[in-house]
Amino acid sequence: MKKLSVSVLAILVASSAHAADMGAVDEPIKLAINEWTGQHVTTHVAGEMLKAAGYNVEYVTAGMMNQFQALADGDIDATLEIWSSNVSDEYAKKIDEGTVVEIGDLGLDAKEGIAYPAHVAELCPGLPAWEALKDCAQVFATAETLPGGRLVDYPADWGTPGADRMTGLELPFKAVPAGSEGALIAELRASTERKSPLLITFWQPHWAMSAYDVQFVELPAGEEACFNDPSWGPNPNAVNDCDFSPSRIFKAGWSGMEEKWPAAYEILTNYQLAVEDQQPMMGAIDVDGGAVEEVVAAWMAENEGKWRPVVDAATK
Amino acid sequence: MTAVTDTPAQQVRLTAGAQAALITVIVGAVCLALEGVAPWLVKWPAAWELPATQWVGAFLDWFLNGIKPAMRLFSDLMTYPMNAANYVLGNTPWPILISIVTALGWYLGGLPMAALGFIGLSFVLASGYWAESMNTLALVAVSVPVALIMGGAIGILANEVPRVKSFVQAVLDIMQTVPTFAYLTPLLLLFGFGPVVGLIASAIYAAPPMARNVMLGLERVESEIKEAAIMSGGTRLQQLFQVEIPAATTQIMVGVNQCLMAALSMVIIAAVIGGFNDIGWEVLLTMRKAQFGESLMAGLVIVVFAVVIDRMSGTLATERKRYDSRVVWAMLGFAVLFTAAFWAWLPNPSELTVLDPMAGAIDSGLTAFTQANGPWLDALKNNSLFYVLLPLRIGLDQAVLPFTWGFQWTPSMSWGLFAVGAAIALLMAWRGHLTGGLVVLILIGMLETGIGNLPWPFVLTGAAALGWVAGGWRLAALSVGLLCTILVSGLWERALLSLYLSGAAVFFCAVLGGLIGLASAVWSPVWTVVRPICDMLQTIPLFVFLIPVLMVFQIGEFSAFLAICAYAIVPMIRYTRHGLVNTPEEMMEAAISSGATEWQIMRDVRAPYAAPTILLGLNQTILYAFAMLVIAALIGTTGLGQSIYLALGQADVGLGISAGAAMAILALIADRMVQGFAEERRKALGL
Repeated sequence: MKKLSVSVLAILVASSAHAADMGAVDEPIKLAINEWTGQHVTTHVAGEMLKAAGYNVEYVTAGMMNQFQALADGDIDATLEIWSSNVSDEYAKKIDEGTVVEIGDLGLDAKEGIAYPAHVAELCPGLPAWEALKDCAQVFATAETLPGGRLVDYPADWGTPGADRMTGLELPFKAVPAGSEGALIAELRASTERKSPLLITFWQPHWAMSAYDVQFVELPAGEEACFNDPSWGPNPNAVNDCDFSPSRIFKAGWSGMEEKWPAAYEILTNYQLAVEDQQPMMGAIDVDGGAVEEVVAAWMAENEGKWRPVVDAATK
Repeated sequence: MTAVTDTPAQQVRLTAGAQAALITVIVGAVCLALEGVAPWLVKWPAAWELPATQWVGAFLDWFLNGIKPAMRLFSDLMTYPMNAANYVLGNTPWPILISIVTALGWYLGGLPMAALGFIGLSFVLASGYWAESMNTLALVAVSVPVALIMGGAIGILANEVPRVKSFVQAVLDIMQTVPTFAYLTPLLLLFGFGPVVGLIASAIYAAPPMARNVMLGLERVESEIKEAAIMSGGTRLQQLFQVEIPAATTQIMVGVNQCLMAALSMVIIAAVIGGFNDIGWEVLLTMRKAQFGESLMAGLVIVVFAVVIDRMSGTLATERKRYDSRVVWAMLGFAVLFTAAFWAWLPNPSELTVLDPMAGAIDSGLTAFTQANGPWLDALKNNSLFYVLLPLRIGLDQAVLPFTWGFQWTPSMSWGLFAVGAAIALLMAWRGHLTGGLVVLILIGMLETGIGNLPWPFVLTGAAALGWVAGGWRLAALSVGLLCTILVSGLWERALLSLYLSGAAVFFCAVLGGLIGLASAVWSPVWTVVRPICDMLQTIPLFVFLIPVLMVFQIGEFSAFLAICAYAIVPMIRYTRHGLVNTPEEMMEAAISSGATEWQIMRDVRAPYAAPTILLGLNQTILYAFAMLVIAALIGTTGLGQSIYLALGQADVGLGISAGAAMAILALIADRMVQGFAEERRKALGL
């Protein structure tokens, strides 16, 4: 519902807006390329839209955690896929300073949760219902976590949502921070190849969801009350006894952007990309080995109706 | 724990080592006894912690913002050479570049070097990472001159003003031991985003070897040469630049070589920041997808560069003969003609996929290996954890559980263990090894409590005692002072965890590396096999190793332990072998003529003589192990390395710098102590 209202809003804004000034067309607009494929797709689609509007675009590689200083200095003009679940504190600092501005939701419908590769359902019958984990903990136990089971959590610098769930739901699991995304993927891969048990904190859209046939554990819905009110949910004495709160994926830009490239700013603000569009492109790149430029170009040609109106609204 | 000085039991006066060990035992015993009534003796209370990380953060914010404009100017200036290098390397057709490197190889080292350059760059071309590699080279090409100038200036300064020498030494140590990740955030703030930050980071890391070699080289210039320069009436500058520096060239060239290698090892760190599309970024992307084959290929490109640069710049440090320069011109001419003739048919190097099948094969090989060997590898991991690593970290009293050892540890078992320890100590003291006995008792106590739970007074006393034995009261005071800063800053627990993990790794490396070094020294075929492995372990980006280790052993301490060992064992092997092989001829002859057997020579002649060198190897192993802790945090360790990543994520300058400093402090103390013992051994041998 939220997603729908956002896109309706976007269309309203787009149609009511007057054509904006193009601004400094000669200078390239620099878009951040972060470490993951989905973001590459998101950014290249946006970049192609800006090019179609008549701008110069430059793609700049930037570490996800380190990019905000660059954004504040105008060394990068926009970054288009920020996950509220693991945005660094520096982002909040820069927003407070006013050097970075948020430019709306991307419209990607993300989901995070406690997950497992499909074969694990045989090792722990009763999955995906979360109650099954109460009795299965032994299956997931390892040397470091005995007697509890082992949950592979996000790297510590992304927060500890998995550990919070285990405490909230009183599940006999010990959360082990992964250290890096590569470590999470290596765990998934090793578990799938060896048919060994694995419980992991994970998210979608992600290419590994389909590559390793990852399933989510069904937890009580992550409502606002669950995070404030201990009495809510299956455990009357704790908060966090539910699923993850839905994460928001949004865009941000350098504060001087609106003035320098008004039309580009409008295009990026109204730009939306859906999971149904992003996920197949990710597959075409990571699983089938396509180049991001070609995959995006093919999508742009086939789906002109999805992006052309946003460009036209800002420029015509 | 190496200070085993023998004391006859009848002698009343205790040796320094015995006194130190005795005090440590008493403090440890008091802490253990009072554990129940005074918990603050074991765990430093949170209320006593100073908000030091916040102070550091606030001070740095103020300081950094103050010097920011000047640094930004420098950053803007550096973009010019950076862009120029990028433009030149990026736009030179690949046949010309390959021929330039081949010709350079010929000029420096004849046919073997030329072949090395040609094959190496052909591999880079075939890998399909040509464009990315050129970006990396551009970064190295600019950062190395910066590092050389910086290092050279520091070295000359220390030589000219002897008063600052010890200060300079400390600064160089800090530059090399504080992990780069710890100061990435302030660097970004200072220099802005982009390749310049990577350039500065690698220059900071690469300058110290240059500075050290300049200092050493200038120190070693013979006094006759210096006097001749003075007598000929030159100014100080003329003496320095026209006489002393040329005389020290060979040593300075060693510095250049080390500087190049260090700069290359930092490209991956530069990639973490981003800013341009280099080979390090490729390693990071493939690593993120856990594609071992691909990331190994990208990593090998860096290894190839490292080997080519190392061998070619290595020839600069040795006397070399001249090779025919006509060959150079012929090669370049041929390349130009080739490029012009086939211009239209030259393949775009980014589209070459010759090595892709190999990457795929490596990847599926890894899969097959983990599938086939899963059970026994799991057993290995579990046993190592249950019986070695866990007891070391949390102590026997907590690690021995029905799930792990099959029974529950009880307090009476602790008393039993202590009684056994005391009996051994008494026995050894009676036999005349009082210090040794006390050390055994200390070790048993540490095993019972676990390194992660050691009482802080015990750690401080122990460090002071070791420092005192190794280098007198100054080192003891330094160790305690530095450790206290960690204690009050609230990073103590994490520091102990780091100490435990690197300590376990160092111990393992010392034993296994020592044995491999010994085997390599006595039987040369072993060395033929071991040497290239050592070369590769030292130059490949360490990230690459994390994937197979993770695939086989999963996230956790055991994986981190193995990753640290893989890197830190190399110096131990190298130095042990080097020390054992290079026994002076006359000592060997004397031993042989006195009729000693091979084994006696090894034990009584070679080993004692090699001891200082082996201790130096141990010192390097310690530093390497600490350096690797940060990388190991990527597979989920919980020590100081993790704090550094947390700080990076939260842009918390204070925490990052404090955690980095704590790591450097641990490494520095360990380093000074080992050096102290090495010095003692050297004096004992009359070297």
